[in-house]
Amino acid sequence: MTDIHVTVPKEKWAPVDRGAQDAEFIAAPSLTYWQDVRQRMWRNKPAMASLAFIILLILAAIFGPMLTHHTYYDQDLKLSNIPPIFEVYKTEPTDASAQYMFLNSGNFKLYEVAENGEILGLVRAKRKDLMKKQHIYVFGDAEVRVDYSQLPATLVDGDGNAIESIGYRWNQTNWFGTDSLGRDVLVRQLYGARISLTVAFVAAMVNFFIGVFYGGIAGYFGGNVDNVMMRIVEIIATIPLTLYVILMMVVFQSGFLSIIIAIGSVFWVDMARIVRGQMLSLKNQDYVAAAKTMGASTKRILTRHLLPNTMGPILVTLTLLIPSAIFIESFMSFIGLGVSVPMASWGTLTAEAVETLRAYPHQLFFPAAAISLTMFAFNFLGDGLRDALDPRLRK
Amino acid sequence: MDKQPHMRDDEVLMRVRDLKKHFQVSAGFFGQNPKFLKAVDGVDLDIRRGETLGLVGESGCGKSTLARTLIRLYSPTDGVIEFNGADLAKLKEKDLAPHRRDIQMIFQDPYASLNGRMNVRDLIAEPLEIAGIGDDKSRTARVHELLEVVGLNKDHANRFPHEFSGGQRQRIGIARAIALNPQLVICDEAISALDVSIQAQVVNMLEDLQKELGLTYLFITHDLSMVKHISDRIGVMYLGKLVEIAPNNALYDDPKHPYTRALLASIPIADPVEARKDNQDQMQGEIPSPIDMPSGCRFRTRCPLATDLCAAEEPELKELADNHKVACHYAE
Ligand SMILES: Nc1ncnc2c1ncn2[C@@H]1O[C@H](COP(=O)(O)OP(=O)(O)OP(=O)(O)O)[C@@H](O)[C@H]1O
Ligand code: SF4
Ligand SMILES: [Mg+2]
Repeated sequence: MTDIHVTVPKEKWAPVDRGAQDAEFIAAPSLTYWQDVRQRMWRNKPAMASLAFIILLILAAIFGPMLTHHTYYDQDLKLSNIPPIFEVYKTEPTDASAQYMFLNSGNFKLYEVAENGEILGLVRAKRKDLMKKQHIYVFGDAEVRVDYSQLPATLVDGDGNAIESIGYRWNQTNWFGTDSLGRDVLVRQLYGARISLTVAFVAAMVNFFIGVFYGGIAGYFGGNVDNVMMRIVEIIATIPLTLYVILMMVVFQSGFLSIIIAIGSVFWVDMARIVRGQMLSLKNQDYVAAAKTMGASTKRILTRHLLPNTMGPILVTLTLLIPSAIFIESFMSFIGLGVSVPMASWGTLTAEAVETLRAYPHQLFFPAAAISLTMFAFNFLGDGLRDALDPRLRK
Repeated sequence: MDKQPHMRDDEVLMRVRDLKKHFQVSAGFFGQNPKFLKAVDGVDLDIRRGETLGLVGESGCGKSTLARTLIRLYSPTDGVIEFNGADLAKLKEKDLAPHRRDIQMIFQDPYASLNGRMNVRDLIAEPLEIAGIGDDKSRTARVHELLEVVGLNKDHANRFPHEFSGGQRQRIGIARAIALNPQLVICDEAISALDVSIQAQVVNMLEDLQKELGLTYLFITHDLSMVKHISDRIGVMYLGKLVEIAPNNALYDDPKHPYTRALLASIPIADPVEARKDNQDQMQGEIPSPIDMPSGCRFRTRCPLATDLCAAEEPELKELADNHKVACHYAE
């Protein structure tokens, strides 16, 4: 080397202060990756609320039906189409105890209720005055008439004066009301949750195993293996799901089974694509090369390096696949390709509610709310997971 | 190989002969007419024990491919890699295992080369674990020792890579590379991604480690000033071939290959008086595609001295002066 003499005054040389180096560190406590993920997850309120909702929903779906004497198939036509909330009226005959009742304005029927909102039964009309469009009920010496000459129907007393209601009551017998066959909506709702969630989780599991395995192999080996495997995926992805479900129904008869099989066998292609993409990009990462230069086996590279780094996207994809599986199942059931009566899924409940939409619009509320809230919850959870699993977002 | 026994460290650690690595880049629909990208195309190189061999060349000339072939991340298309009495080029993966620990690599990107899911302790202990050295406890002790060696401390062992700066991560990468006391360490642009101030620190540390552990470095870079500082000898690559290799001073003071001269001319010089006057050394045109290489000398499309001979015949790497080899018909 050429001799270059540069003179630097001696006092300009000083040892580097080790403390200055350490100052670069963010004084965060040292956490393992999953501890860190849990912490960040915990701080994400919408995701935690969603998780709580999902857990509650699952518990309710499992245990709810056991806690009530209602079943999802018991019909009581006398008590059909009862709303969850109704306006209670009171009549006080002088020779008998006070009577509470409510008027189902959809079918002009009068029901006897307890003051707290418990339903005691249907009241038979004494007379029907078809000219005046009135049903006349008699309690002791008091007379109550359902006047449907003008809609909505109203309750009037013997002199034709409107009866004042004593306020709204929550239906204590059927919390969510009953459907057009008099079945308890809450219990059917919970059974629907069982079916919908089962379909979703089975689909998710099938996706997970087939997708991760298939995508992992295609991505890790690459080349021609990848080419052939991905062409197969493309072919599967082009089959319309509806057609597929119909074919399955022919083979398996049961709507439930065919939906699960159809969703399970078609949905995994997304997972396979994602895992493959991850593998393709990760296997060329320098840390995999580093592991190879140390002589790491293929198994070690897959289990220590590749899979842990794909776990995040896999989990996120999985949580985001569940709502779409729920939606597909509901949609299929809605158009009549799903589970068959008297079994209920959220889709069939929606379909039934749509039939009575004009008279009882409230019946659509519960299945629709269940589907949308659950989809919201899984989506929030998936987004929360994605954020929590990304170490770059760590504060 | 070289006939000058006056240099103490003349013992050849790795002898590379006619090494080739071709990538297939396209094939007809049924695999006819495959096209090959000749990333490394006949490299002869001796790496001597204890030296730092710098390797320079433009982007895309095959430096990284050469490094990855030497360390057998790629299997060579052809050629010989003689190392510790074995020909690494021919060995199967399972027979390579005993040699793996003797050659390690420090990667360019300190972000990509550390698995973010592992903490520092596991990262540095991984080579020990794979080699089956010690138990968990003794490995942890070794990790702490290595952390001190590279200027970190043992409190860092439980932290994750994302908690460190680029320079610190590169230190972790270095600790991992030297964990098994390798003989040869390949630094592929190991400092290019770092801040200039940190570069000097890391280079100094690498030099200290070399003295202490008797390491041999293959130091790949396109920073000509840094390679001058650290190397004993420097090789210049162009389109998959070594075109000139010489001791540090000889290369800078008396570059013999037109490409080397052009490279040196392209270094920005602060002092305008020193600035080279001969524009003759400027290269013309673009680097040709490594898929369709020019005939004869591959530099001829850009060489200011090219003649018909250069197009007809490929120049061989010849020793023109003491330890100074050049591949050019007109070099002297
Ligand atoms: N796996 C691969 N498959 C196909 N072509 C490759 C592959 N790796 C490298 N190449 C090609 O080989 C040539 C040499 O690449 P290489 O990375 O070795 O160059 P380099 O000298 O290291 O460049 P740089 O200074 O940019 O790092 C380039 O043209 C590159 O596109
Ligand atoms: S052989 Fe010819 S073309 Fe190649 S570098 Fe020498 S003079 Fe230039
Ligand atoms: Mg490179």
